[in-house]
Amino acid sequence: KLETSKRVEPAEPTPGMQALKSARFLEIKEEAKYPDGFKSPNPALNMGGTRKGRAYDKSFLLQFQPVFQEKPSIDWDQKVRDTLGSGDEPGSARPGSAR
Amino acid sequence: TNGSDKFEDGEKMVTVFDDPSNFNVKHQLQHTWTLWFTKPPSGKQDWSELLKEVISFDSVEEFWGIYNNITPASELAQKSDYHLFKQGVRPEWEDIQNKHGGRWHYTFKNTKASDEVWLNIMLAAIGEMLEEEQDNEVMGVVINIRKAFWRVGLWTRTAGQPPKGKNAETPTDKEGPAQRLERIGKSFKEVLQLPAQEQVEFSGHADSAHSGSSRAKAKFTV
Repeated sequence: KLETSKRVEPAEPTPGMQALKSARFLEIKEEAKYPDGFKSPNPALNMGGTRKGRAYDKSFLLQFQPVFQEKPSIDWDQKVRDTLGSGDEPGSARPGSAR
Repeated sequence: TNGSDKFEDGEKMVTVFDDPSNFNVKHQLQHTWTLWFTKPPSGKQDWSELLKEVISFDSVEEFWGIYNNITPASELAQKSDYHLFKQGVRPEWEDIQNKHGGRWHYTFKNTKASDEVWLNIMLAAIGEMLEEEQDNEVMGVVINIRKAFWRVGLWTRTAGQPPKGKNAETPTDKEGPAQRLERIGKSFKEVLQLPAQEQVEFSGHADSAHSGSSRAKAKFTV
């Protein structure tokens, strides 16, 4: 069976994959400057006495969805096929209509 | 700059929003999470053989890299599950850490799972929106895809029993173990955006295992 839709795996990790690996964690007390239009995590979630850890609300987390599309690793598609099976077409295009 | 350079003081902070290919800071999650997948059986395998670890991650950025490049729940075959659990906990009753636990669960009686609902559940879990920091109850979240329904669950460390033994911590506040679980159940229900008249049920794993099915009598509802 000829698979025309199959993309060739890149031999090298993409810049985005490398950035994901090499980036350091933001310190809790550090204030990141986000570009205009992006929200910071709700300070009440992290600065309050009860939660000293890393909490993020939905609206903060959803901002990343369109921004970081990179696969976690170069062998990701193969890994997904091996783990989820090929019958249900893992890694196939996401449905065009959001529900 | 070279990606392998050490981050140096004074270097400009670049978030993924500034540059998705060259960011140098990322957002750490409170916990490391492991995504698991249960493959639909294609013969007579043991359930544990069908349960596979997909990947572990500890940053917001990596979560989206995974979510944006994996089969959405709505496209999974019947008898598949996704489990998103804290690293080190197997998503099984048999795991010793789940021995005294239970789960909040809700069944949607239609065939196609909502990707939005499952995403909201995962975001609430990794963003620590389901419990207070000191609760230490949330073990993981799960979606089961079945023939005529789909079900979501939130696994907890306890099943509302008072702590056992002399060394057990005495709660200093008025909230007891059952109230704590109910509060977590309410958060879960809010994440599901269910109408108020719908009920989310809690079952202890021990009861579920004993009845031989996952339809044990609900212990609490919210």
